[in-house]
Amino acid sequence: MCSAILDIANPIADPDEYLRALMEWHFSAETGSPFWLRRARTLDFDPITDVRTFADLARFPNVINEFRDIAVEDLIPRGLEGEDRVIAGIFESGGTTGAPKRFVMFERWMEFALGWDEFHYADLGTMNTLAIAPSGPHMFGEFATRRARRHNGVKFTVDIDPRWIKRLIARGDTEEADRYAEHLIDQAADILTTQSVGILITTPPLLERLARRGDLVESVRKQVQFICWSGAHMDADSRDIFRREIFPGIPLKGLYGSTTILGMSRERPEERPDGLPVFDAPSPYIAFRVVHPDSGADVEFGERGQVVMNHLTRYALLPNNLERDLANKVEPLPGAFGCAVADVGPVKVFDDNSVIEGVY
Amino acid sequence: MFVHIDALGPSGVYRSRERKPLVSLAGTRVGEISQVPPLYVRRTLAAMRDAPVLPGAERSAALDKAADLFLHGEIGGLDPDGYARLVSTASGVPVGVVRQSIEWVTDVLRSQRSTLELAMPRGAVRDWHDPRTLAGSAVWTRKGELFAVHAAGNTPAVHGLWPEALAMGYKVAVRPSTREPFTAFRLVSALRDSGFPPETVTLLPTDYAAADVMVAEADFAIVYGGQDVVDKYSASPRVLTQGPGRSKILVTTDVDWREHLDLLAGSVSHLGGTACTCATAILVEGDPEPVAQAVAEKLRAVPSLPPSDPEAILTVQPIESARAVDRYLHTVAADARAFLGGDTIVDELSSGGAVLRPAVHLVDRSTAPQLNVELPFPCVWVGPWRPEEGVAPLRDSLVLTAMTTRRDLIDELLNEPSITNLYLGDNATTWLRPGVPHDGYLGEHLMRTKGMIRSEM
Repeated sequence: MCSAILDIANPIADPDEYLRALMEWHFSAETGSPFWLRRARTLDFDPITDVRTFADLARFPNVINEFRDIAVEDLIPRGLEGEDRVIAGIFESGGTTGAPKRFVMFERWMEFALGWDEFHYADLGTMNTLAIAPSGPHMFGEFATRRARRHNGVKFTVDIDPRWIKRLIARGDTEEADRYAEHLIDQAADILTTQSVGILITTPPLLERLARRGDLVESVRKQVQFICWSGAHMDADSRDIFRREIFPGIPLKGLYGSTTILGMSRERPEERPDGLPVFDAPSPYIAFRVVHPDSGADVEFGERGQVVMNHLTRYALLPNNLERDLANKVEPLPGAFGCAVADVGPVKVFDDNSVIEGVY
Repeated sequence: MFVHIDALGPSGVYRSRERKPLVSLAGTRVGEISQVPPLYVRRTLAAMRDAPVLPGAERSAALDKAADLFLHGEIGGLDPDGYARLVSTASGVPVGVVRQSIEWVTDVLRSQRSTLELAMPRGAVRDWHDPRTLAGSAVWTRKGELFAVHAAGNTPAVHGLWPEALAMGYKVAVRPSTREPFTAFRLVSALRDSGFPPETVTLLPTDYAAADVMVAEADFAIVYGGQDVVDKYSASPRVLTQGPGRSKILVTTDVDWREHLDLLAGSVSHLGGTACTCATAILVEGDPEPVAQAVAEKLRAVPSLPPSDPEAILTVQPIESARAVDRYLHTVAADARAFLGGDTIVDELSSGGAVLRPAVHLVDRSTAPQLNVELPFPCVWVGPWRPEEGVAPLRDSLVLTAMTTRRDLIDELLNEPSITNLYLGDNATTWLRPGVPHDGYLGEHLMRTKGMIRSEM
């Protein structure tokens, strides 16, 4: 069985038709993965007959926690062969909510996902890339490596161990976390001041740290042609300050992604009055919903809620995964599943309420 | 009028996209306050650090001018009366209390020259050009450059401390309270309009996370808050905390408390009970019950009035917050005997919000935990004290008014490190005067002496 509609090289005319073919792929004995074939027996519905539309995906339980201990071999769909079967890597989540979850990334899908925001880079030409980003088991670093390759330059890298930073912060050792972050910027400084760098890829907190050093800001202004940020929240005000004051004239574009969807969404070129970047996912392969945290029901456009992610390719099926992020629900691109998202970030805490005890 | 409280940064007014509503007690939206991100805070502080310090004489002149402007000027479209009414409407602090507080801040601004003289060690000179350095002397110098203020919104009087840092030559960044940011805005604006360059005094309205960045990045900081805030920063020598005052009054048997009843009740209710200098506990040698009874009677007579009434002295809060305070009071009161406020302290007003009525409770021993419970309205705990207990029950007081003639006891109280201010006799815990330290001079934290000798060249 090899449905052409599932080939990512082909355009999708009807997303629901794609979805039905996908269900057949993942839940047929010849093509499905051992994990899903086994898991299907415990479902109270038949995915092949009962999942006809994007809305029906909500019937799936969130199985993401099972990815913490499952053997990765069991995640490989049996139907993948030849070029399709080439594995780019085994990537892991950051482990914020417990043991890391593990996912299989296939070569063809990875290149496709990377191409999703290619247009941002189209005119840049040959140049080197500096990624101040996690490598190791994380998807972020590998994406940066491939981005560099597409520009025929070299990739300079400063490695980050995000799990170690999270541990430091969890035990309240903010000073050590601070020193570690400065150590990262010191290493980036060595590269920025001795090498030619055209593309800078990093996280908002590290970009902010870099922006505190006048000499590095100068160096970035002189040579960097494009800044890509990912991995953390950037509020509209900080985005404004970066773009207008610190790095004027240098495109600053975000990627909102997750290992648990094996990919990312890209920043829409459109500028909104609220200054927030809008992120579109490569539907129907990746699709978002935004739901009320309590009821799980979809929120209205413009409202804020918790992000639900879906990865829907023949390389993997990761439906209905409730992320910890909050976001505003935004109208999707025409014909896309689900919605776009804006103002992605953790819960905003404004605990300015009057404290009972004490007069202040 | 719709008020915008925006950041006042080194390069002017900055309105962030992230804003919070400013709401009156009646629930009307009166304006918006910008919430700047940490990135803006950091850049502001960096620019401030790079800025030159205004010479001393110019600082003094600017402070004088700012006093007039703060008191009489039109700032941000608000004249003095409009500003005072806005503070009252938004915070529920009676307009009379607001006006008293404004006067206080003005007095503080005007008296900085003499306050600095008083706070400076006698062996020191303020300026190295002073001829005394030719023979060798100390010069009074700053320990840092940047002072951060994480302010509170109780009353405008909260802003009566940090101008001292400006006078000393510090550059000051103020994070205003979100409930009452108007005074901080007015004061920072007045200072900038009076000669302080924008990069020497800034206003950074922001959330708590970015305020932490401000405190962390400055050389020194003052932070207002409850016990949690005090605990959070107590280990840092860079941070001066202004937490619960737990001010107390002691009456010994050699003094007839009946003659001082107005002072007892006034120490509780002054400024609507919102200040850290308001009496939280009254300890009485002998039977405390008649004292509780009499103070309760006095406070019972205080009328419930809307905050806009010039006669009002009690604070008004949104009804839900007032009920929360009431519930909390009943929980902590436990077995204490109520003389006032035992049923409820919430008195709803037809004009919106609820008055927080006074509460007076009697406890049976000087170790009762209630004696340390400070609440943001006139709430006093009355209990017994015996001479053999000594200073122990009187510890941890921002102000202690001791109505006693016993000299040994006075010596002991003065030497007790956790009693910050000691007032004797007929002086309310809420007494303040520019030049007399409130919790030590700010200069004790921010300045040091440096030995110097020079030859004429």
